[in-house]
Amino acid sequence: MDSASSSVNSTISAAETEALKAATFQRLHPRIYLERFLEEQVRPDGRSTAQESLDENGWRNVEVNVGSISTASGSALVRLGNTTVVCGVKAEICEPELDNPEEGFIVPNIDLPALCSPKFKPGPPTEEAQVLSERLNEVVTANGLVPLSSLCICPGKAAWVLYVDATVINYDGNVFDAALLAMVCALRDVSLPHADFDPELGRTICSRPGSDLSKPPHKLAMQEDMLPMAFSFGVFAGSHLLPDPTAFEEPLLDTAISVILDAHAQVLALSQLGSGVETGQALDHTDTLARCISLAKNRHAVLKKKLYGT
Amino acid sequence: MQSAFDRRRINGPEESSPPVFATEALEIPSGNAQKTRKGRNTSDIRPIFLQPGLISQANGSAYIETERIKIACSVYGPRQSKNTVYSEKGRLNVELKFAPFSCERRRAPLRDAEDRSIAVAIQQALLSSVRLEMFPKSTIDVFLVVIEADGIEGCIASGSIAASTALADAGIDMFGLVMSCSAAVVGTEIWIDPTQEESNLADGSLVLACMPALGSVTSVWQSGRMTPSQVLTCIEACESKCTDIHSVVAQSLLDSARAATTTNA
Amino acid sequence: MASDIVLPGQPIPLPRGPVPQLGRGIYEKDSQVRASLVGIPRFEGSSLAISRIRPQPPSPNSIVLGFVTRLSPLQALLSITVVDGVPLPPGEEFTGVIRSQDVRATEKDKVKISDCFRGGDVVRGIVISLGDARSYFVSTARNDLGVIAATSEAGVTMEPVSWQEMRCPKTGKVEKRKCAKPEGIP
Repeated sequence: MDSASSSVNSTISAAETEALKAATFQRLHPRIYLERFLEEQVRPDGRSTAQESLDENGWRNVEVNVGSISTASGSALVRLGNTTVVCGVKAEICEPELDNPEEGFIVPNIDLPALCSPKFKPGPPTEEAQVLSERLNEVVTANGLVPLSSLCICPGKAAWVLYVDATVINYDGNVFDAALLAMVCALRDVSLPHADFDPELGRTICSRPGSDLSKPPHKLAMQEDMLPMAFSFGVFAGSHLLPDPTAFEEPLLDTAISVILDAHAQVLALSQLGSGVETGQALDHTDTLARCISLAKNRHAVLKKKLYGT
Repeated sequence: MQSAFDRRRINGPEESSPPVFATEALEIPSGNAQKTRKGRNTSDIRPIFLQPGLISQANGSAYIETERIKIACSVYGPRQSKNTVYSEKGRLNVELKFAPFSCERRRAPLRDAEDRSIAVAIQQALLSSVRLEMFPKSTIDVFLVVIEADGIEGCIASGSIAASTALADAGIDMFGLVMSCSAAVVGTEIWIDPTQEESNLADGSLVLACMPALGSVTSVWQSGRMTPSQVLTCIEACESKCTDIHSVVAQSLLDSARAATTTNA
Repeated sequence: MASDIVLPGQPIPLPRGPVPQLGRGIYEKDSQVRASLVGIPRFEGSSLAISRIRPQPPSPNSIVLGFVTRLSPLQALLSITVVDGVPLPPGEEFTGVIRSQDVRATEKDKVKISDCFRGGDVVRGIVISLGDARSYFVSTARNDLGVIAATSEAGVTMEPVSWQEMRCPKTGKVEKRKCAKPEGIP
């Protein structure tokens, strides 16, 4: 049986011992650990914090895989570094609201299951999940990304409701940016069957794709000008601007900044929580937001080309 | 039917229902006409894609794909048991969640009875394989998220394989790796690893979990109707498939262990 | 050699002669020796074991590091974050307790917990037993055990000046602690 404590360490290499020492220091003194990296203008995962290389080397890699879930009307899997989010859209049919008889619904939610991080335990949505769902809901529904009138099947009788559910599989920070991208890509992938409201039966009948060539399925009428994309930043110790923070960095940040851009890289929304950068530091207080916007725009151009091919 | 208004989530309309189609998806053969399996031999399983270690935040993890079935599994712990009395043995806790978009019908986000019964089936498959006596006072948490489902039997089998792989990836001591396979009795035939569509045609089905390295069975989960001799035939067929699956799992664990040693060196 | 990696349940070929002592990751059942972990079996002294650097729960004789979370006249509560040199993932702490009789080896009855630890101190200790349902019992009754990092009232990291005092480099004020002897000092 396991006896002396040293037995664990007797057969491991010097490199492993060093790695363990670093990990122990990181665990006990996370702030100082991060400070020491940032003094060298590098982040623990190897990204650079040097001003001139932020565009090229300040962000984590993004990968998107669309449409692999056959039980969803549209789906997307997004990997942002190690952060992994999968989003599926389920289309159902409902009665429109009395006040808006010609509009359907979009219902975005995010789930942070216990699977994705040791931070979460099984149970109802945490506060963090609730806040994230609210923020995502604002961006996805407020800007007319999918005109609700395009979801109407028969005014006052039937309309589509799109349940846009994102599930986080691996929580390594900046879940908001990844989830928004997953939701937008999943919505772009949605295909709705042709639907007719039958007034005699009082219900909607759909045509199975391929069964009737005169009634083909259709894509969502998305406002391609909108396509929101989020770019989040953190400020550490009032002086370091960290794009796309990881799960290790996030709890150490004193300010969180998010820039949301549309397809033409115009600002749709901007948020800053915390006091930002202190005056007199390497970064100036007044131009931090401007800097974030400019970095976001440069990153937007790269991602837009990679993901949407334009 | 939607669940009641929940202020912790973004809520949609009070009621909504899945689309109703003018034509059925597939023709269900009527009467006692002999059903023949399409696209696969009766004794074939779906190809398995298995990748350990994708979830960096977990102690151990595995992702499994068997055609349409997609399941992610992570293992946390051994962690401190909460609100439990002193116990010489560790606890093995298994929880499973269907993503809302994982099935033909949308699954409202509340946990339902099916989540729990599948989690119990997977827990039973694993329980006797883990050396729980090595983890006094501790709990090992196994969490699964079904990203896409295709038949309950397949979910239990694939979930058990993913969970056992994730436990090995997490460095939890086990007597052996657990493999699992399902079979269904359709007419006079036995179809291995049935899909949802095929289960709908079946009279009865069975899920076997075993440790091929030790030649021992860890659980058998049978439902529906079959004769005792069909039960035995199903068990034997599944057991032999588990040996094949074991080599797939072994290869993926060896590959990931080798990748880890080369990066550390 | 990569080809020597074994998997849980796999029989381990043994050299001729008496069966060696079995260490971690290996078990014997029905007179067959098998692996219970993924890894390479190696001899550690006279025992055969598969070592995996993985976070483990504390066991008796584990050396642990943790933060002091709560003090009472009778004991200090510890949030254990490192076990045998391997850090536990964030959010995966174990609760330890240092009872006043386990703080130091001598004059045990004169120990005042508040003169030995403060909330937030980082403490190195040894697990003496699995304890009760809630916590592991931890002792600091050895020269190399005790507080290894502490912040002064002025918010600065302090330096040990003796085995029971630390000094704040900013204010020069001395605070009482049960200090661990720093590593590398004979």
